[in-house]
Amino acid sequence: MASVDVALATIAFKRKIAYKTTWLFSILFGGWALLAGLAVWNHLIGDGEVGGYDWQAMKAYLIIGFLTSTLAWAGSEWDMANRILDGLVAIDLTKPVDFQRARAGEYIGGMIASVPAAVLGTAAAVLIFQPAPPASAFAGLLTAFSLLFIFPLAFGISYLAVLTCFFTQRFLGIQWAKDSMVAFFSGMMIPIALMPTWLEGLAWAMPFVHFTTTPAAIYLGRVDTAGAFGLIAAEAAWALGLWVIARLLWRHLVKKVTIHGG
Amino acid sequence: MADALPLNRSAPVRHVVGIYWRTWFAQIRSIVEYPADLWVMTSAGAMWNILQFAFLSVLFANVPEVAGWGYHEMLLLSGLLSVAGGSNALLWDGVWSTGSMVIKGDIDYRITRPAPVVLQVGSAHIGMQSIGEVVFGSAMFVYGWIGTGLGLAVLPIGLLALVCAAVIQSGLVTALCAVSFWIKGPMPIFAFLMIDLQRNAMKLPLGIFPVGVRIVTQFLVPVAFVNFVPVAVLTGHLSEWWLIGLPPAALAAILAAVGVYRLGLRSYDSAGH
Repeated sequence: MASVDVALATIAFKRKIAYKTTWLFSILFGGWALLAGLAVWNHLIGDGEVGGYDWQAMKAYLIIGFLTSTLAWAGSEWDMANRILDGLVAIDLTKPVDFQRARAGEYIGGMIASVPAAVLGTAAAVLIFQPAPPASAFAGLLTAFSLLFIFPLAFGISYLAVLTCFFTQRFLGIQWAKDSMVAFFSGMMIPIALMPTWLEGLAWAMPFVHFTTTPAAIYLGRVDTAGAFGLIAAEAAWALGLWVIARLLWRHLVKKVTIHGG
Repeated sequence: MADALPLNRSAPVRHVVGIYWRTWFAQIRSIVEYPADLWVMTSAGAMWNILQFAFLSVLFANVPEVAGWGYHEMLLLSGLLSVAGGSNALLWDGVWSTGSMVIKGDIDYRITRPAPVVLQVGSAHIGMQSIGEVVFGSAMFVYGWIGTGLGLAVLPIGLLALVCAAVIQSGLVTALCAVSFWIKGPMPIFAFLMIDLQRNAMKLPLGIFPVGVRIVTQFLVPVAFVNFVPVAVLTGHLSEWWLIGLPPAALAAILAAVGVYRLGLRSYDSAGH
């Protein structure tokens, strides 16, 4: 990682915390989803279980989803989108810095700014709701390791969504569509285990599943150690794959940039 | 210091409506010049509804009912919420830019023009995802309507619900976006919080939530009147007396939008000061 990447990440971090109220309130986004999820699944599960999740396991599942979604949506995707929508991308092309790397630095800097709030929120949720503990200490460690891949995965998905701004004049609708895809296929909206086989297969074939289902499956021991390593390898593969796909798309899309009509 | 033009004095209603439609149709003309934009955004708007439909279908394949509500009743809830959100994006999407306009000082330009600022900002954009939202949301609503066995006799209630949902949604979003005049930031965080609340809680029966959530959503930020109250009345989960609350809720949302925006404009001090 070059010093320019660190510098851009630092700038994004400072920009994020400059709007302190916005920054503090952003944690409430995940908070609503967590509380709504707890109310729904408490009602549905009761003393039984649904899809192999009892109430204790479901609480852990939802809290992991809260942590990952709080981190994932803290990146500066609107800054990326506005660079394309406002035409600043034309200026970026003149700079001796790779566009994708620069945006990755900024995005991850923004995500890092949310880490304290996400960790505090998760700690509070664990203390209040007392979910199931990890299946083992090693499962807990592997879960923490798998969460690190949220950073490149969130950037890859957001960056690909932002690239559609070469065709559109607004990002809001794109963002909501992307958020919906992640919420549904990550298993945050409804656990993947409840889906019909074909839809479950489709979910596992996409990168979104690693935002909630993968860390939760490792944490709750729904996969053995080999399976956990396999899932982590899949996360790494997707992180790399999304990066390469984005670069290929960029080469094509950047040709759409026009400067003063030329 | 700035102030929105009072609707009854400096800006006659006919003038205001004329300005609005001219601006809105200018946006439409712009949209048809960019067909790729139109299709991408329409697909994006359809996505949330398709996934919401999938969510309900998967859920009800595993459980028979949620707090006494069936599959088709919950389709009505989601469908009406989508139509409300889509109507806001179709007719009044510009308010979402209030925060960025405040930061950049873009409100200055609008203050100098002879039309209410909130009107100029509200009609400054059309969210093209709204086409997908309204079409697929309506489809879900109609499917739920037929599946629930609601007949044509209660159609006027359905139409009243649709109109009030659009008005309440747009009014509340406008009021919450106007908070950006005081709590500055590029994103209208409070409006996003409301949408987040709606997408997480208001597509489900309110009965499963603690009483505090019910009080907040019915009386403090009355998002329950967007979809839950009318659907609950239509499906017999609430007394029909609740319908009386729909027009006052719509009026309150409009007054809140105009009032908060005007207060915000008074405290607006342009960029860099």
